[in-house]
Amino acid sequence: MKSIFVKMESKIRKQNLNLLPGYFKKIGLALILLAIGFGIVVKLMHFELFPMQKELYRTLMLSGINLGLLLITLSKDKLEDEMTIAIRLKAMAWSFTWAVFYVIISPFMNILFKDPMRDLAGQQVIMSMLFVYMIMYYLQKKSR
Amino acid sequence: MKNTLKVERAKLDITQQQLADIVGVSRQTINSIEADRYVPSTVLAIKISDVFKTTVNAIFNLEEED
Repeated sequence: MKSIFVKMESKIRKQNLNLLPGYFKKIGLALILLAIGFGIVVKLMHFELFPMQKELYRTLMLSGINLGLLLITLSKDKLEDEMTIAIRLKAMAWSFTWAVFYVIISPFMNILFKDPMRDLAGQQVIMSMLFVYMIMYYLQKKSR
Repeated sequence: MKNTLKVERAKLDITQQQLADIVGVSRQTINSIEADRYVPSTVLAIKISDVFKTTVNAIFNLEEED
C-alpha cells in the first residue's frame, strides 16, 4: 500500500507550477539589497557625467528591486501542494486588483499632493503588485 | 462542503502529519480541509478516501449552499 502512495505523492508533486528552485529566494533578496545599496551609493556620490544620468540610475535600481521581488515570488517554498497553488492564485488576483485601483487612484493623489503632470511609472505599479502578492501570499499561508 | 475527515482519521488512529505524508500534501492542507477552510481537488479527495478504504461521498458531503 505504501508504494502506491509513494507513486501518488510523486504524481501530486508533478501538479505543481513550474516554479524556480528555493535558492532563488536568496538570489532575489541579494539582488534587492544590491539594488538598494547601489541607489544609496549613487545618491551619496553626487556625480553627473551626462544628462539623464539620475533617471538611468533610478531605472537601474528599480529594475534590480523588481527582478529580485519577481525571483522571490516565483521560487518554490519548502512544501508545495495544491493548496499553495490555490493561495498563489488568490494572491495573484489580489495583486491584479490592487494594480487596477492603484492606476485609477494614483493620478488623483498626484494632483492633490504632487506634480499633476507626473506620469505613473510602470515600475512603480509592478513593484506595488509584487509587494501585494507577497503580503497576501504570506498572510494566507499563515492563516491556513 | 462538510467532511468527516477528523472522525475517519481517529478511527484509523493516524495523525494529520501521517495522512499528509501518505497523500503527498502538507499537514496544514489536511488541517484546512478538516476545518472546512479548503475544499480539496477531486484527485486529493479520492486519494484521501482510498486511505480510509471508503468512498469520497462517505467523507465529503455537500451542504445546501453548495
